[in-house]
Amino acid sequence: MAALPSPSDRREAARERVFTAASLVAAVALVATIALFLVQLLVTSRTSWATFGLPFLWHSEWNPVTEKFGALPMIVGTLVTGFGALLISTPFALGIAIFLADYAGKKVAEPIKYLIGLLGGLPSVIFGLWGLFVLVPIVSKFEVWFGKLVGSEALVASGTTGVGLLAAILLLAIMILPFSASLILEALLVVPTELKEGALALGATKWDTIQNVELPYVRKSTVGALVLSLGRALGETMAVTMVIGNGMKMPTTLFDPANTLASAIANQFLEATSPIYVGSLIQLALILFVIAIIINVLARVILRRGIQQ
Amino acid sequence: MTTRKLKNGVMGFLVAASAVMLITVLVVIVWHIFISGVKYLNWDFFTKTPTPMGESGGGVFNAIVGTFLITLVAAAIGTPFGMFAGIYVAEHRGQRFADVVRLCADALQGVPSIVIGIFGYTFLVVRFRSYSALSASVALAFMFVPTTTRVTEEVLNLVPSGLKEAAYALGARRSSVVWNVSIKTAAAGITSGLLTSMARIAGETAPLLFTAFGSRYVEWNMLRPMSALPLQIFVNASSPYPALQQQAWSAAFVLVLLILLLQYGAKHLIARVLRVKA
Repeated sequence: MAALPSPSDRREAARERVFTAASLVAAVALVATIALFLVQLLVTSRTSWATFGLPFLWHSEWNPVTEKFGALPMIVGTLVTGFGALLISTPFALGIAIFLADYAGKKVAEPIKYLIGLLGGLPSVIFGLWGLFVLVPIVSKFEVWFGKLVGSEALVASGTTGVGLLAAILLLAIMILPFSASLILEALLVVPTELKEGALALGATKWDTIQNVELPYVRKSTVGALVLSLGRALGETMAVTMVIGNGMKMPTTLFDPANTLASAIANQFLEATSPIYVGSLIQLALILFVIAIIINVLARVILRRGIQQ
Repeated sequence: MTTRKLKNGVMGFLVAASAVMLITVLVVIVWHIFISGVKYLNWDFFTKTPTPMGESGGGVFNAIVGTFLITLVAAAIGTPFGMFAGIYVAEHRGQRFADVVRLCADALQGVPSIVIGIFGYTFLVVRFRSYSALSASVALAFMFVPTTTRVTEEVLNLVPSGLKEAAYALGARRSSVVWNVSIKTAAAGITSGLLTSMARIAGETAPLLFTAFGSRYVEWNMLRPMSALPLQIFVNASSPYPALQQQAWSAAFVLVLLILLLQYGAKHLIARVLRVKA
């Protein structure tokens, strides 16, 4: 209409520029955050890098008194608890997801889904509280019983407090269960009905259909879901910290107190006074950060392929 | 033929059994929190501050105040970043950089909370030479932003493209289409996402350990150390005194109630959005 831009036009153009800039800045900031974390952790752990170098990763002594630090016990603790929890919870996660997708009617499935969401939303520290006061005493009784069963006096004598790797694995298995179950369920729900009906029409039983049609269809998504769950388990902090026992030595049995990367930091950071101790703990955080990023990116790539297929 | 039918029956039983297992575990956990939590609740619990170690009585008023302050400030810091990043990703769908942003948001969501705590410590606490509630809020904001980004993007993608195209056809600019059409249509969904993100960070402990640090006093100053419910639960549970351990259960009960309330609000909003759509 008017040949010259009116004031309101100019205001709008200005708003447009601010808006575009703001969304771009926020997007760039998000990407930069990853780099910022990496640089910050690298820089603040430099005393540890300089002293121990790369062998930090496979050195098995963690001794705050002599200030010799190697991350291997924590790396082992992290892997054992993470994979142990995944191993225990996966069959249940699959079972629950299949039950909800193919067996339960809406009236049964909806409340269960709600409960799964509830369990998944509980804070880590509350699982820790429950683990410490309910699960650990049970594990302790089991340890005493097991020690007597195999006649291992060492096991019975070595303080069957219940805290240790086994308690952490069990607690983690419970914690990642709702997460992996709901991810697998999501994948199962998009299996085309025609495929299932086709198999059923050919005389396949319900389980035949699940085994030969549905599960192969969601294979990639399931692997992605499990990798994501593993990532959660590896980085889980508070619950593990409260039940794993802050053991500094390399664990030799599942009943030993141990540490994961995360629990070592949570347990020891406030006690660490010397720069080298602090630096070593920050370096544990760096290792954990790198593992978490790799696992998450990997899982997303697998999941995206699952969806594309 | 019979083996197939047998297998069908057995597997059906097994999947149902795993669902029953899950429900059992869940009920046991919730039951413990409820029973042990309610048992030790009293008026003092909500209005008083902790007594010196080992003495009975006292409450967690300081932690309740702290949880509200730290969570709200974290949400205030994180919301603009998360929302604008989400808008960017939604508006640039299919472009490579938008994909990178989305991937980074996903990766950030997977960063363990203790790493965020360490980052907060080295980045803020060391720099300002003091533990502070504000550094805890910033640390939590790093968890708040990626979830908000993803939720905003997902909700914006649900806005019917016909609506947006109609606005563009009237000569509206992109900013006004996003503000006046997309955001307004998606407002309830985005608010619901913000509440879900808040529910998530309100229960976080690890990012607070080395930032907020904890305090026995009721603290309103964000630049000073402050307590929070998750911190109080951790500290009390680790203490050898039964009175403090009991308080941990009550604090857990209150924290779960708070989180459920936020989640209920979020669900309620989402339900309204879906009803309008249908």
